[in-house]
Amino acid sequence: MTTQAGPSRDILRFTTHRHLRQRILLSILSGKSIRVDGIRSDDVQVGLRDYEINLLRLAEKVTNGSTIEISVTGTSFLFHPGLLPGGNYTHTCHIGRSLGYYLELLIPLAPFCKKPFEINLYGVTGEEGRDMTVDMIRTVTLPHLHIFGVTDGLELQIKKRGSAPLGGGQAIFKCPVVRNLKTVQFLEKGKIRKIRGVAYSTRVSPQFANRMVESARSILNRYIPDIYLITDVYKGDDSGKSPGYGLTLLSQSTTSVLHCSETLSKPNEIQTPEEIALNSTRLLLDEISKGGCIDSKHQWLVSLFMALGKEDVSKIRMGPLTSHTIQFYRDMLEFFGTKYKLTENLTTKEVDVSCIGIGYSNVNKSMA
Amino acid sequence: MEQSHKVHHKPSAGTKHAKKDAANGVDRSGGKGFNPKAFTNTSYRAADRAARRTAEKDQKRLHVPLVNRNPEERKVTAVKGQGMDEGKLPPPPIIVGLVGPPGVGKSTLLRSLVRRYTKHNLNSPQGPITVVSGKTRRITFIECGNDLNSMIDLGKVVDLVLLMIDGSFGFEMETFEFLNILQSHGFPKVIGLLTHLDLIKKASTLKDTKKRLKHRFWTEIYQGAKLFSLSGVMNGRYPDAEINLLSRFISVMKFRPLVFRNQHPYLLADRIQDMTSRERIRENPKIDRTITLYGYLRGPNLPPRNAKIHIPGAGDLEVSNVERLSDPCPLPTLESERRRKMGEKAKLIHAPMSDVGGVMYDKDAVYINVPGSFSKGGDAPQGEGEKMVMDLQDTNRTFADNIQNSEIRLFGHSSAPLEVSQKRTRRAAVPRSGGPMLGSADDNEFDEEDGSDEEGDLYDDDTEGQVDGLNEESDEEGDVRYADSDSENDDLELATGFQQDGKIVNIDDDEDFDDDEIDDIAESLNEEVAEDEDVPQWKKNLSDRAATSFAERMGRRRDLMTLVYGSELSPEEIAAGKTRPSSADAESSRMAQDDLFHVSREENRGDEGDQVKEIVNSEALKAKWDDEDMLDSIRDMFISGPIGEVDAEGNPYEEEGEGFEDIEDGSADGEQGDDGDGVPYVGVKPSAGDHESARAAAAAKKQAALKAKFDETYDDEDEDGEKMDFYDQQKSEMAKQRQLNEDEFAGIDIDARAQIEGYRSGMYVRLEISEVPYELIEHFNPAYPIIVGGLLAAEERFGYLTVRIKRHRWFTRTLKTNNPIIFSLGWRRFQSLPIYHLDDHSIRNRLLKYTPEHMHCYATFYGPVSTPNTGFCAFNSLGEESNGFRISATGVVLDIDRSTKIVKKLKLTGVPYKIFKNTAFIKDMFNSQLEVAKFEGANIKTVSGIRGQVKKAQNKPEGAFRATFEDKILMRDIVFLRAWYSIEPKKLYNPVCSLLLADKGDWKGMRLTGQIRRDEGIKTPLDINSAYKPIERTTRRFNTLKVPRKLEASLPYASKTKILKPQTKQTYLQSRAVVMTDEEKKAITLLQQIQTLKKDKVARRKDKQEERRKEHRKKVGVIDEKKNEKLKEEKRERFKKEGLKRKRDEASAEGKYGKKRRGKE
Repeated sequence: MTTQAGPSRDILRFTTHRHLRQRILLSILSGKSIRVDGIRSDDVQVGLRDYEINLLRLAEKVTNGSTIEISVTGTSFLFHPGLLPGGNYTHTCHIGRSLGYYLELLIPLAPFCKKPFEINLYGVTGEEGRDMTVDMIRTVTLPHLHIFGVTDGLELQIKKRGSAPLGGGQAIFKCPVVRNLKTVQFLEKGKIRKIRGVAYSTRVSPQFANRMVESARSILNRYIPDIYLITDVYKGDDSGKSPGYGLTLLSQSTTSVLHCSETLSKPNEIQTPEEIALNSTRLLLDEISKGGCIDSKHQWLVSLFMALGKEDVSKIRMGPLTSHTIQFYRDMLEFFGTKYKLTENLTTKEVDVSCIGIGYSNVNKSMA
Repeated sequence: MEQSHKVHHKPSAGTKHAKKDAANGVDRSGGKGFNPKAFTNTSYRAADRAARRTAEKDQKRLHVPLVNRNPEERKVTAVKGQGMDEGKLPPPPIIVGLVGPPGVGKSTLLRSLVRRYTKHNLNSPQGPITVVSGKTRRITFIECGNDLNSMIDLGKVVDLVLLMIDGSFGFEMETFEFLNILQSHGFPKVIGLLTHLDLIKKASTLKDTKKRLKHRFWTEIYQGAKLFSLSGVMNGRYPDAEINLLSRFISVMKFRPLVFRNQHPYLLADRIQDMTSRERIRENPKIDRTITLYGYLRGPNLPPRNAKIHIPGAGDLEVSNVERLSDPCPLPTLESERRRKMGEKAKLIHAPMSDVGGVMYDKDAVYINVPGSFSKGGDAPQGEGEKMVMDLQDTNRTFADNIQNSEIRLFGHSSAPLEVSQKRTRRAAVPRSGGPMLGSADDNEFDEEDGSDEEGDLYDDDTEGQVDGLNEESDEEGDVRYADSDSENDDLELATGFQQDGKIVNIDDDEDFDDDEIDDIAESLNEEVAEDEDVPQWKKNLSDRAATSFAERMGRRRDLMTLVYGSELSPEEIAAGKTRPSSADAESSRMAQDDLFHVSREENRGDEGDQVKEIVNSEALKAKWDDEDMLDSIRDMFISGPIGEVDAEGNPYEEEGEGFEDIEDGSADGEQGDDGDGVPYVGVKPSAGDHESARAAAAAKKQAALKAKFDETYDDEDEDGEKMDFYDQQKSEMAKQRQLNEDEFAGIDIDARAQIEGYRSGMYVRLEISEVPYELIEHFNPAYPIIVGGLLAAEERFGYLTVRIKRHRWFTRTLKTNNPIIFSLGWRRFQSLPIYHLDDHSIRNRLLKYTPEHMHCYATFYGPVSTPNTGFCAFNSLGEESNGFRISATGVVLDIDRSTKIVKKLKLTGVPYKIFKNTAFIKDMFNSQLEVAKFEGANIKTVSGIRGQVKKAQNKPEGAFRATFEDKILMRDIVFLRAWYSIEPKKLYNPVCSLLLADKGDWKGMRLTGQIRRDEGIKTPLDINSAYKPIERTTRRFNTLKVPRKLEASLPYASKTKILKPQTKQTYLQSRAVVMTDEEKKAITLLQQIQTLKKDKVARRKDKQEERRKEHRKKVGVIDEKKNEKLKEEKRERFKKEGLKRKRDEASAEGKYGKKRRGKE
């Protein structure tokens, strides 16, 4: 006779394959189920791509109790998220996307596991244009987590490199668990005091890396003397299955602000190492000129961790918001109901992002 | 008799005292008195001891610093104009719960306290009652019923408990139960109150009782806990002096934030309303309702959108709409409170469920208590509500008429009624320059509300004109709704015109001014102006003004937030810097939103759209960064770049010796703060005068920076390092963060602010909740509190909770695995089926059938996720049926998961059917070869302890296998295999929906099988194999050992059986003859004679004694009979009396009950 409001099972609905990862990510973090419809319904090849299905598999693998239902045509799927147990995993990523694609999903999840998270990923370590390479994740993304108190035991080991298209690389990502994230105020961008970089090459002449370093220095030398670009040449088994090379650059300021850029060789195009290095350097300068305390590719990650903090105000100055970040903010509103306060400085185009944490604590982490 | 006057005391503080001190040259800065030598130590030992004592006291004082999520209390200072902090949100009223068994005097105390604070006499206080207790604090009193559900719910929200104990009776079980509930949900402050002490007549008994109760109380709470005693009742209240003392204790009570309440927003509803339309209820009386709950928010911020909540006793719900209302019981303002004492006007009371001022709310009606004959002209002191109702009579016209005649219509000729939609955007109020534009009519209607509105509207930080305008607007809204609400008369508030809560503060999603809308306004105004020739002066150039202001605003900034959280522009467009959608874009995006006209677009194909890197045009990039000027323009971002300002060419001004602080640093320092005005100039050379001043400023800044750096490097270690220990550091960090939290959103309009940060603690809000079970309204009873508890993101999920649990030592029965128990965990009360287990050698979690005695164990059950480290208590039943202690267990949450790893032992047995040396073939353990294959290599064991291993399945008897052992086993041995069988708890989650019941205590949960059998009268089925039978043990008879004669003969003597025949001959002692001499004969005869004489004597004595005893028994029997008769008489008398008394009590109770009922109807 008594009707009682039981557990509400509301499902958030989205369309198209766009921003798929962040929706899966937020779904797992918030515990809300999602349903995505109309995935590439207008494309010649309808439905989810192989790498996306691979991503869903990975999401299912690292969670306990998730269910994924994909429609026959692959144009829609339903995802009920589970909890994050942590522990050791191995996953062979699809070579359609680089490891960065998968790591960008895993990195924000890893600190909220029950046990420390460790995953061995196989696949393409770097690909031009879309996702961050493992170098950038190791040198820039992980330090961004340090800001929020995720520090001890956080590492990414690049065991083997594998360039696109065939891959053959291997990376191990380890992450500790935290109960709460720190609340952060980060408004001082300071002045850039050093520039670091990694020039890698696989299955090409080792001289390529040196050439890249040379030409990058030709621009950067005018600014500061503290430039240290290492060449990272992988040989034999460690160099994967395809030839490739690229340059990842990062600058660090007096207040530990990181800006980064990278350019990689494309599989079927002929580019000189110099072109690639110059392009990467210009990208870095562009990134620096945008200002802010957070690199533009990490705005979403930092914003997410701001919102997942305690019920206090975090405030961070960022460069102009990217479209990815803006969509991310919209999705955050859907999943967590978090609205960010955005104050734009009209002259510098920098944006002060502040929000109140939702008091997200790692419920997975056990007491005993 | 001569009355003694108060003795004059010399002032020991204050201005007069200070003046005197100054005149006398006394310095009291060192301490209270003026005797510098008074408290020095004479010996070093004493000094040492004193120092150690103070150090210990200091350490005892320290507690783990906790953030307080409620706003800080005001601090009243002597300095006028300071301290009251009127702009700031005051903390919510503290919740004081009155708890105790029935008849202990809770209502009497409540009446007394309310009377003490507000001078109101409440006849039947019900529901939460909020009063202003002083300039800085408000208190919500709530009476707690005697049922467990109320106690559990209230225990989770009260800040202070007034625990009432019947002194004449002593502690009752409920009191201890309540204390245990408190303990497992974070211990709020408790003050004990002893009542009914006047029933104890003897002074020494009273003293002893007090002492005994005090010490018992102290063991429960802490040594030295406050325990008051209240003497008798006068005029239906406790004596004023005692209540005064108590109220003083309440008003200075400090509260430590509790962890759970710091993480969850919550609200104690002081008012409930059904918003469902009458018609729909008439169609289906059991339709899900839409209700509104009112109350002060507490704890962290309540999410502004779709907040998930749990109402204990009703279930999980979602808030569909939150509105901030003006405070119904505000603290006195600075203007009204210049004096030291609080004014009478400021002593407000807010108790919508009670009968304050003769008006009482019930679930669907308002009752007006009219004492005696009612006459309007009577100048008797009117209550708040009464006055409002009387004011209603002043109007001569209907509301509709009022609307018609008022100036509310925006334009004179407009006939369309003003429709106030829910999604009304708040627009800039057009400044009032020429006389009242809006709502002149409501002056006579809402006089007092208006007044209170503006007074209560502490938080509007708009300019005065705007505040007026907005208020008018909202009043207007109220009016329009009156007109509308004629047909649907359900809205109580509107029907009575009783706007106790003041105006509704409108909150919209798109709070900020939309550009289009401003255009719209301008356009519409233009049209209007064109049509109307004779318009007032102020209307004339409205459109121009709107246009210019719009242009100004657009020039000044593009509001990023509006763009990001609006839906007009796609993220790419916003990132590209667009501010308004081009018409084509807008069209397409609108079409895209509309499912009907779904246009196929680029974004539904391809691989793009899920990447963090922006697409880069390398050609453009190259063109941009090939430019030398461009390359140089970012030099100042590097540490080696130019120090100081740069001119147009990017060269630094280096004429002055000391370099400048860099402009970047300047901006980073927050110097440029105000919205783009103080932006550092880049590339434009400043004028000479500016330059001069800038240089001076920069030099000063640099000096400050250098000093800060110096301080940082040198001071930290020696000075600050000692001053700021870890504790202070933590505290200062918390204070800093708190300040930041307050400052960050300080400038924003309060409703826009709520959209970003949520609704803050201390706000009075109205929560609209839809799809509420109708029983909540139907069976609403103000005596049972309605609590709204906010849920965290994780807490809506379900999973297996592993908890550490201990059976309460007062609970008489052990707890059994898979028996349902009721948990009170987080906000929720629910029934679930726990499985108890214990860690077995850190290898596995082994199931326990019963909870261990006096020991913790683990329990795992299915239920809603709760953060680890949350405490809980559990009950076997919540009803009143059991006399004993009802809390069956307490514990804490350890872990949350979707699967469990509990195992129970499973022993498989088998018997050998063939035995070789160390090998045996075992059957009857498994049923198939497949099963055997699964257990190949498993360890097995015989009963006698011979260990072995499963080797391989045999073909012949199905399920038989070959096994090897460490020794030869016997045919009669039983072989067993110890395995572990994993167990999942059953998924039962049965929330205790007690609020939905007509009789709140009558909740029935899942019953045990035994209970069901008992209730249904079903016999327990008896398995014949389970029956106990007497064990029959036949004594084993062993055959005698027979050694063949031949063998016997050949054995050596040592090994020969030595069986002896029994002796047949008499021994010497038996066979000898005894011959006595004469002497001996005589002696024996004599001895025999003496013995005979003695026996005779004893026998005679015994007889005599028996005779005497008989006589005595007779006598005693007579006396006893008399005694018994007397006792019987007494008994008869007593029972007679008791019977009469019971009859009388029953009669009176019935009468009382009847009266109550009558009162309610």
